[in-house]
Amino acid sequence: MLTKEQCFEQLLLGKAVKADGWLESIRVEALESAKALNFPSERHDDWRFTDLSPLFQHGFQPVTSFVRLTLADIENYLIPGSTRLVFVDGCFDAGLSDLAQAGAGVTVKSLVECFGDPQVEAQFARNLSFKQDAFAALNTHFFEDGAFVHVSSENVTGEAVAPIHVLHVATKRETPSAIYHRCLVVMESNSRATVVEDYAGLNGGIYFSNAVTEVVLKDHAQLQHVRVQREEKSAFHIGHCSVKSGRGSVYAATSLAFGARVSRHTQHVMQLGEGAEIRLNGLALIAGRQIADTHTRIDHAVPGGKSVQLHKCIADGAAHAVFSGKVIVHPGAKGTDSAQSSRNLLLSGKARIDTQPQLEIFNDDVSCKHGATVGQIDADALFFLKSRGLSEERARNLLTHAFAGEIIARIPVPSLVESLSRAILEERMKENA
Amino acid sequence: MINKGGKVLLEVKNLKAEVDGVEILKGVDLTVRAGEVHAIMGVNGSGKSTFSKVLAGHPDYTVTGGTATFEGKELFSLAAEERARAGLFLAFQYPVEIPGVSNSALLRLAYNTLQNERGLEELDPLEFEDLVHEKIKVVEMDPSFLDRSVNEGFSGGEKKRNEILQMAILEPKLAILDETDSGLDIDALRIVANGVNSLLTADNAVVMVTHYQRLLNYIVPDYVHVMDAGRIVRTGGKELALELEARGYDWVRAAA
Amino acid sequence: MSSAIQNLVNQPYKHGFVTDIETETVPKGLSEDVIRLISKKKNEPEWLLDFRLSAYRHWLTMEEPAWASVSYPKIDFQDIIYFAQPKPKKQLASMDEVDPELKRTFEKLGVPLHEQKIMAGVAVDVIFDSVSVTTTYKAKLAEVGIIFCSFSEAVHQHPELVKQYLGSVVPSGDNFYAALNSAVFTDGSFCFIPKGTKCPMDLSTYFRINTEGSGQFERTLIIAEEGASVCYLEGCTAPQFDTNQLHAAVVELVALDNADIKYSTVQNWYAGDENGKGGIFNFVTKRGLCKGINSKISWTQVETGSAITWKYPSCVLLGDNSIGEFYSVALTNHLQQADTGSKMIHIGKNTRSRIISKGISTGRSSNSYRGLVKIGSRATGARNYSQCDSMLIGDNCGANTFPTIDVQNVTAQVEHEASTSKIGEDQMFFFAQRGIGSEEAVSMIINGFCKDVFVHLPMEFAVEATKLLGLKLEGSVG
Repeated sequence: MLTKEQCFEQLLLGKAVKADGWLESIRVEALESAKALNFPSERHDDWRFTDLSPLFQHGFQPVTSFVRLTLADIENYLIPGSTRLVFVDGCFDAGLSDLAQAGAGVTVKSLVECFGDPQVEAQFARNLSFKQDAFAALNTHFFEDGAFVHVSSENVTGEAVAPIHVLHVATKRETPSAIYHRCLVVMESNSRATVVEDYAGLNGGIYFSNAVTEVVLKDHAQLQHVRVQREEKSAFHIGHCSVKSGRGSVYAATSLAFGARVSRHTQHVMQLGEGAEIRLNGLALIAGRQIADTHTRIDHAVPGGKSVQLHKCIADGAAHAVFSGKVIVHPGAKGTDSAQSSRNLLLSGKARIDTQPQLEIFNDDVSCKHGATVGQIDADALFFLKSRGLSEERARNLLTHAFAGEIIARIPVPSLVESLSRAILEERMKENA
Repeated sequence: MINKGGKVLLEVKNLKAEVDGVEILKGVDLTVRAGEVHAIMGVNGSGKSTFSKVLAGHPDYTVTGGTATFEGKELFSLAAEERARAGLFLAFQYPVEIPGVSNSALLRLAYNTLQNERGLEELDPLEFEDLVHEKIKVVEMDPSFLDRSVNEGFSGGEKKRNEILQMAILEPKLAILDETDSGLDIDALRIVANGVNSLLTADNAVVMVTHYQRLLNYIVPDYVHVMDAGRIVRTGGKELALELEARGYDWVRAAA
Repeated sequence: MSSAIQNLVNQPYKHGFVTDIETETVPKGLSEDVIRLISKKKNEPEWLLDFRLSAYRHWLTMEEPAWASVSYPKIDFQDIIYFAQPKPKKQLASMDEVDPELKRTFEKLGVPLHEQKIMAGVAVDVIFDSVSVTTTYKAKLAEVGIIFCSFSEAVHQHPELVKQYLGSVVPSGDNFYAALNSAVFTDGSFCFIPKGTKCPMDLSTYFRINTEGSGQFERTLIIAEEGASVCYLEGCTAPQFDTNQLHAAVVELVALDNADIKYSTVQNWYAGDENGKGGIFNFVTKRGLCKGINSKISWTQVETGSAITWKYPSCVLLGDNSIGEFYSVALTNHLQQADTGSKMIHIGKNTRSRIISKGISTGRSSNSYRGLVKIGSRATGARNYSQCDSMLIGDNCGANTFPTIDVQNVTAQVEHEASTSKIGEDQMFFFAQRGIGSEEAVSMIINGFCKDVFVHLPMEFAVEATKLLGLKLEGSVG
């Protein structure tokens, strides 16, 4: 068992791919940041609810060998009809990927192929604050490859275009591995697209997924962004997503956390253009000894912004769910309209939920509200279902499923809604068995 | 009642007004005498609601030309509250909600402010309660509404009745009813109209701003004015309203 | 509209005068010697000196908290006078012996020290700088077994009670300022309501800081035994100095089975001028322990003063079925900073809590609600409802809401709501159209906004609170 310091040292032993020019200087800077920041202390305000100690116990090794998978191995995760990029342990697998569906004006490629692209140079690592986040800094230094999605202004009818599925799978290795995932999405003016980021593990195993995603929405672009975290229950997942939204753009995200022993998703959306709309939906559904932490921050920096957020946590067993959602309305961001809601369901006497909705407002011409509730399954509804002949267990599962279903139903990919719904119900059954 | 020899309450001449730099009123003329009931009709956007807000002194509107006198006083030199204290009342199309401020507290403050203005005794809470319980019958409202926050959680009809209750308490010389009939079912319309009728005397006057004729079945106007594109383009008796109902507005606008 | 609001909220501070009275102080600075000196001057027993010294030693190891949304220059704790008292201090046999200059001061503040003149039969303990000047109605209260006196007097007259309860709710090392207070507190109020007694009148403490450069560190301890109930009021003012002054009080409440304590504060310490010069740093720890079953503690506060307010009146709901409440109005203007809220710690079964917080910010001020609702794993059936509303007046102020909800029991029901609003143009026009001037309109709207809190204030305080907000009461409160 390692100490926190040893764990960090071990991660620093990873091998960064040698790069040239602008990328190399970013990597160097990121390494310096990572060393200066180190792992967050448990007293750090952004981390105080989240016990990372199970993560620190392991020495995560860099991935050095490539595991060859077949489509059958990842069959359960496929989304029919999608454009697909598959990464195995952080390495791009062209054989498993399917880029045939990408429509006109849509670029979906592995990042390493695109470092010469001026778009990539202009945006990569420019949108996130790796200087404040050690995990993002480590990722920026050590990532090997990732996804690059570019949707040009030609593609203004994105809804008709296939969803872009970025699937990251982790394999079981003999020693715990450190895996870095990276994704850059650039939406040109008026473009539309649906991007699904999917993090999954195969065959158990202990590994540390460190994911960083950057999203840039130019004026009037619209992105449906889905994030499914279904890592192995023995794994660790720390994700960071930074979004910049331009004038009149619409960013709608649905983020789900089901897996990992300890997971954290930090999402930061900056409204930089007037009248941009931001919709964040989130769900953490966990059991056993899982810890799932979601930290979101929305900055309304210019007038006319609108944000609507609904986050739900469901904690069973001895699980611990954390939600912290910050909405900041800056001076000058007149006419901001923001509503945030945190709804939480405790299913067991040993489970725990911490929720912290936060509003910081520096402007009087706003309409902002937030609400939070923590409760249990509605006794009346339970009684009703039992009176219609359902067993206690089945009734509880049904109600839990319905509570989660409100978020899942917001995913704009029907086949994914269906497969996730089914998976959850099966998981619930297993949990109760 | 048409009251040619009656005292002139309101006299508007060539009134022009704009909002955000857009001219809405382009020269309105209107004379209202004590004892009269006027109706101003017109399609949406004709300027009729603007006209009522300009008279009441809404800060969003700028008067750019013309004059208006109220009982001989220059109306536009008065602040909104001074116009109200002088006896000009606006029943709002969309009454606002004031959380935490009870209806009765508002009514009493408004009433006592007016009493002060008129050099009369203020009423203490008990005396005022007697008055308000008398007046509330006019609009057939449940007294429990008095203890609730102003318009908070009221239905559309309750809000409009509440406006008329305020009118009953304040006894204005000139009441402007801005689309008071909109959103009312037939029972509420009857109650509101009965309330207004019961408050009419030879010394006061009412201007109804409305889109439809149906309110005029209950409150019968002496004059009907048609407003279009910021001007009064036609004036007639109550039969004009029926004609508008039957033929629509286009023929008046075409004629104008 | 904005000028009306500005006039309303920018009324000059009325309590900014200084009383010219000879004061005895100990030299500036803090050390074990100063603490020994304070203890000696107050002729304290050994155990209390030990309490102070252990708190001081703990304090030396602590760091000033930095998590609140407030910023201020570093406080030099060696540049503060820790003890100041009006001379001469001898045992007063009756109210008539109070220094006439002091009497005049409190009359000017609206707190007459003659029992017959005192408002509606409220018993008052008056604290001037570091010491209690007088306590009214003491004898009358003693008839029903109620002890209401200065803290110093309690130490001598009722040492067993003080020893039993001092630090039992706010331990001496609880936080930086509580530790400082435990080391240097000078006086305060003590109140004990025996079993089964309903206190026949409201009890009140009036705090006045007078000496420039002095800190005020008072300590209040209220104990309500089984079935007892009391309603307690606290008021505070200070003169206008250009330098900041530190006020670090500790209030501890203990409610045993079926007891009920209602604690109301109208805080109007000097807030500094419009450029943020001067004013009180109000760093206060207030906590109530609902120790017994069915006990209830209710905090109501109206915070309008102080350059910086840092306080979180809290309830520890230990007894089954106990109830904690927090009702707060905080108004900030100019460069004032308020970081205030409440903590409700549910430990016992079926415990209930309720938080209603109304923040009004204007000028360049910052007003934050910070709260914690914690439902422990044994608190089966616990319920909480929190509502935090902010009203912003003007473009240069800030309003923040930082609630934290931590639930570890499956049967808990916790609900939090927050909203932000402003005074609408349409609301103002509506008032004007009903003949009501803008100042009165603003006052009604703000009073309406605060109504859910004002209804929980005792009548005299409700009047004072509305006046403090610069507003006319006129029928809108109640």
